[in-house]
Amino acid sequence: MHVALVGNPNSGKSSVFNLLTGSNVFTSNYPGTSTEVVRTELKMGNRFVNIYDTPGIFSIFADNQEAETYRDLLQNLHLELLIHVIDASNLERHLVLTAELLELKYPLLIVINQIDRAREMGIHINAVELERLTSSPVVLLSSTSGEGMEDILDIIKKSLANKTISAGNEPGKAENSRLSCQGCTGDCHSCGIKVETTTTPADISRASWAKKTAELVSYRISPANKRRLAYVENLLNRPIFGTGVLLLLAYLGFWLLLHFIGWSETTVNMVLQPLSSSLENFITSILSPGLIATVLSRAVPEGLIIPFTIIMPAMLMVSLLMALLEDTGLLPRYTVALERVGSLVGVSGQAVIPLSLGFGCRTPAVLATRILPGEGQRFITITLLSIVIPCAATLGIMAMVVAHFHASLFVLVFSMLAVLLILGYILKHLIPLEESFIYELPPLRIPVAANLWHKIKIRFAGFFTEVLPLLLIMSIAVRALIESGLLEKVREIESFTQLVFGIPAEAFTAVLITIFQRYLAPLVLLNLNLSPREATIAITMVALSLPCLPVMVMTVREMGFKSLLKILAMGFATSFTIGIILNLLLPS
Amino acid sequence: MKSTAMKPGQKGKVKSISKGSKAERKMFEMGIIPGVEIELLSCYPFKGPLLFNVGQMQIALGRGMAEAVDVEILP
Repeated sequence: MHVALVGNPNSGKSSVFNLLTGSNVFTSNYPGTSTEVVRTELKMGNRFVNIYDTPGIFSIFADNQEAETYRDLLQNLHLELLIHVIDASNLERHLVLTAELLELKYPLLIVINQIDRAREMGIHINAVELERLTSSPVVLLSSTSGEGMEDILDIIKKSLANKTISAGNEPGKAENSRLSCQGCTGDCHSCGIKVETTTTPADISRASWAKKTAELVSYRISPANKRRLAYVENLLNRPIFGTGVLLLLAYLGFWLLLHFIGWSETTVNMVLQPLSSSLENFITSILSPGLIATVLSRAVPEGLIIPFTIIMPAMLMVSLLMALLEDTGLLPRYTVALERVGSLVGVSGQAVIPLSLGFGCRTPAVLATRILPGEGQRFITITLLSIVIPCAATLGIMAMVVAHFHASLFVLVFSMLAVLLILGYILKHLIPLEESFIYELPPLRIPVAANLWHKIKIRFAGFFTEVLPLLLIMSIAVRALIESGLLEKVREIESFTQLVFGIPAEAFTAVLITIFQRYLAPLVLLNLNLSPREATIAITMVALSLPCLPVMVMTVREMGFKSLLKILAMGFATSFTIGIILNLLLPS
Repeated sequence: MKSTAMKPGQKGKVKSISKGSKAERKMFEMGIIPGVEIELLSCYPFKGPLLFNVGQMQIALGRGMAEAVDVEILP
């Protein structure tokens, strides 16, 4: 049996999916989190139910990737039940999709989600009346408290037993052919033609049905005291003041991040330092002296200390800050406030979301570019992410290199900003921005601690499974490279790298190592004896080079191999150009 | 008049939208269609986006989009 969730973006499908399956789909307070279909098997009695979480859509007939994904799902699967999730506080708008689904005669279960918040806002919904008007079962759900969950499971069970759950909408009688009405001019009044054209009479009639239905089934008591959140929302909506507050919050976030990293570095170091030296002694004692012993005894403690002192705190703090931004609904407000800034580098306001996600980890950021309008926009954003935006892990180690060699932070930051603007400017002219900025601001919410914790856990999970092993392996490889004297061979091109980039040949290999994992390159640098000038050039070249391996994989998945090649070429070009320019400009 | 000429706090009724089918479709999905009442909440400087109240929702429209929305000011 197949059951799919369907609903507008931000209606809470993923929360419902999580409640049903207990799995770890991200739920966020900004549109576009679930960008692809997620399937989970749910065991009910002795049968399995396939549950599909889907991207949010406003209309089945919309001309975008999400709606297309959805149409494919509807056409390829024999869906016995659609769980249609509606945000209780936006009934009128969400009911337009309901109208479409009802016309397509799918068996529906209508879930009115976030009923608790709607009640808080003074909105009351008459479920019985809505049931009557739609001839479908209606459940009021609070995914935070779990109210209504039992009813949903009951209805799935009933349709599992193949009972008719809604009048006229028997399972299996869905009229798939209606998804692609051939030759319709848009006025047949029943189908929605796959519109690239504007709104059809059918659309308009659905909208008016939605308006009427919403009026019939919901009423609102205006609360006497204006709620505090609405007050804050109004303050944030003021262009200058609001933007100021948002920027201040962002600054506080970064301040907190840096101080947390600094503080935990000392603390974790204090704990780990004795451990690492005993680990080093242990390895030397069990292995016979030689190259392997030297490599392992140094690489293993290194490979453990760096992730724990820098990457772990950064990942924790970034996860917390991102979760806060998402769950409060502040993130989309940055999008609007920074729309102009985005357009400077040729990206739309929405791109601020993936770009800022990139400061945490660029891998999910690449995925998040799906919320952008158009392929061109996505390409620009992924390019900027790959080449310019430093992730939390990179930031930590970059700071370490800068401190270790007294390299110039100013040159580094200035170069990155300059590259961001110049690269953005070039890309903007190659791929012009389609002017269609339209964005929905979700209401501000007080984040739920359990939700925050859940997200931090998921985001952080990769630390032990991916970051730690990878870093350990790579640091052994890098150590081996250093100890084996292979790097000495690179000295042969010393005169070349010194002439062109003004850095030693070994530092140049660090730049090349970015291909494997960007945050490993500085590791190589730390083991070299560099002057501040050399370190500045080398770290800037590293900072502005290639995406890390996971990002490359994601890019191929999202945009294709050709796009990755373009991005890699641009990365090399950028890195080498900036090296040459700095070598010419910086006083020796 | 264009919705960009509205002042924050003013309410208007959408008369027509002329921005090509794709953009119009997007606005439709967000609930901006002829006949609907919108209220300008704020207007970002440097030709930034405009923030409207549409029904229960806050919708931000880029300047280019907002210029295509023709409104009739409501008292």
